Amino acid sequence: MQKRFPLNKIVGYLFVIASALIMLVPFLTTVFNSLKTYKQYMQFPPEWLPNPAQWSNYTTVWEQANFSSYTINSLIVAILSVIGALLSSSMIAFAFARLRFPFRDTLFMIVLGTMMIPGIVTIVPQFIIFKNLGLLDTLAPLWILEWLGQPFAIFLMRQAFLNIPKDYEEAAKLDGCNPFQIYWRVFLPMCKPSLATLAVFTFMGKWNEILAPVIYLISDENFTLPIGILSLSGQYKTEDQLLVAGALISLIPILIVFLFAEKYFVEGSKTSGLK
Amino acid sequence: MLELQTKQQAKSAVKKRKGLDSEGRWGLLLVSPYLIHFLVFVVGTSVASLYFSFSDYDILNPPKWTGLDNYAKLFEDPLFYRALWNTVYFTILYVPAKTFLALLLAVALNQKLKGLKFFRMVHFLPVISSWTVIAYVADAVFNQRIGFANAFLSKLGLAPQNWLIDEFWVIPVLVLIAIWKSVGYMMIIFLAGLQGISSDMYEAASIDGANAWQKFWRVTVPMISGTTFLVVILNTIYSFQNFEQIFVMTGGSTEAGSTGGANNASLVLMLFMFRQAFSFFKMGYASAIAWVLFLILLAITLIQFKLQKKWVHYD
Repeated sequence: MQKRFPLNKIVGYLFVIASALIMLVPFLTTVFNSLKTYKQYMQFPPEWLPNPAQWSNYTTVWEQANFSSYTINSLIVAILSVIGALLSSSMIAFAFARLRFPFRDTLFMIVLGTMMIPGIVTIVPQFIIFKNLGLLDTLAPLWILEWLGQPFAIFLMRQAFLNIPKDYEEAAKLDGCNPFQIYWRVFLPMCKPSLATLAVFTFMGKWNEILAPVIYLISDENFTLPIGILSLSGQYKTEDQLLVAGALISLIPILIVFLFAEKYFVEGSKTSGLK
Repeated sequence: MLELQTKQQAKSAVKKRKGLDSEGRWGLLLVSPYLIHFLVFVVGTSVASLYFSFSDYDILNPPKWTGLDNYAKLFEDPLFYRALWNTVYFTILYVPAKTFLALLLAVALNQKLKGLKFFRMVHFLPVISSWTVIAYVADAVFNQRIGFANAFLSKLGLAPQNWLIDEFWVIPVLVLIAIWKSVGYMMIIFLAGLQGISSDMYEAASIDGANAWQKFWRVTVPMISGTTFLVVILNTIYSFQNFEQIFVMTGGSTEAGSTGGANNASLVLMLFMFRQAFSFFKMGYASAIAWVLFLILLAITLIQFKLQKKWVHYD
């Protein structure tokens, strides 16, 4: 048995290292592609390393295209979504976890149910609602629903609130707090890790989203990063290496968020598997 | 005296009921955002979508009731069958392969290998990237002119392929890229499940003389079947609704009509619906497609739940 154990580990290492290389090498190749001249980018057979590295590709794409405007739009959508998700979903979840009110359990079953139902059937009417509200070609349809609570976020926060001992609630009640004050002053500060998880997930989802921006945004100055880059590749057929640089720029903020909040990302991934 | 007592009792009863009401009122108040969400954006939109699916609606003019016309048209539309087959084909390739690979990765990482955090991060890199970024990464490998896959083929003396346009290759290559993007995410879900298996099970298997392979099939796979079931369901749902990848990779432009690959080889149901709605403004027809897609997905999910009794073990 002692002999078998290391063998397992060796096989495990080989497998994981091979897999890690399969993950990393295409990314590195892309980074190198972003540093090539157009001529070198198009050459066949391709050369792996850029020679010499064109760091100016990054500044060129930033200056030439509407990149700063795409970035600001993406930031607006992601930040407003995060704020909305943190405020509303936690408030709704607190009520489900801690307050007694009519039809509470039925309503919570509905929340869980809507988590299972795919959103396909609602795309067309939702578009028509936002169109009639005059919100077409604005950023509002991309973040506004987060302010009305999302099933996954409600589920995640409810789990966190359920884990807090009842004593805190009772002590706050004796001090004369109403339910909203208990939620805001006592429970919310105790759930920072779950709030962080929710924030990371919402930010990432919104930063990378493509379907809603494609449906709702029409003019270039309102585009978010993913579809801004997509539209550039449709418009300018040349200078592809600049677009690669642009795509990699759009990855930087999410990479930073991920490096700082890896713990919460892993936590959220696990949670999404539990239900 | 007696009167006073009853009065007091009545008073406290009122107070008690009033207290309950206050908590109830707060509860309803605090969940009210979701009530609006549910009534308007779930119930309202579903009813509207059902109504549209029975009408002719181009957004500019009010919907005109046409009964089952859209559905009848749909079942005669060769493009619908093409899209349905492409979606099913994608799912058949995608779900089993990804589930198996994610489980293998999780098992390997669960052996307390050094550098867990690093490996996890490497596998998360594609997970956190948008499809726009992934499209350029995929280009580096599968682009007809600049991709390394063709450079490799030509070194072997084989003809280069047009991976993302070719009718034969496009779906398998899209599946490969989709697995590559998200296998790390599923790996984490499996890792969480694996950590719930007690080591007693493996020790008992060792005493019975099981080797690593037998332990994997006889202990790990059955013990993790609940998680596997969940991963299969999540991925099937995802696969049937895959839009972003197909949209970004087999068109590369926001002009909606231009996507779907050569001879519609990568036209999937979601893209088919999107085109009808937002390129041709056939909102009624698109809604009918959405409902058919929804019913197919519902049927598959129900069948999977029925089948789970045969292979999912709960303690």
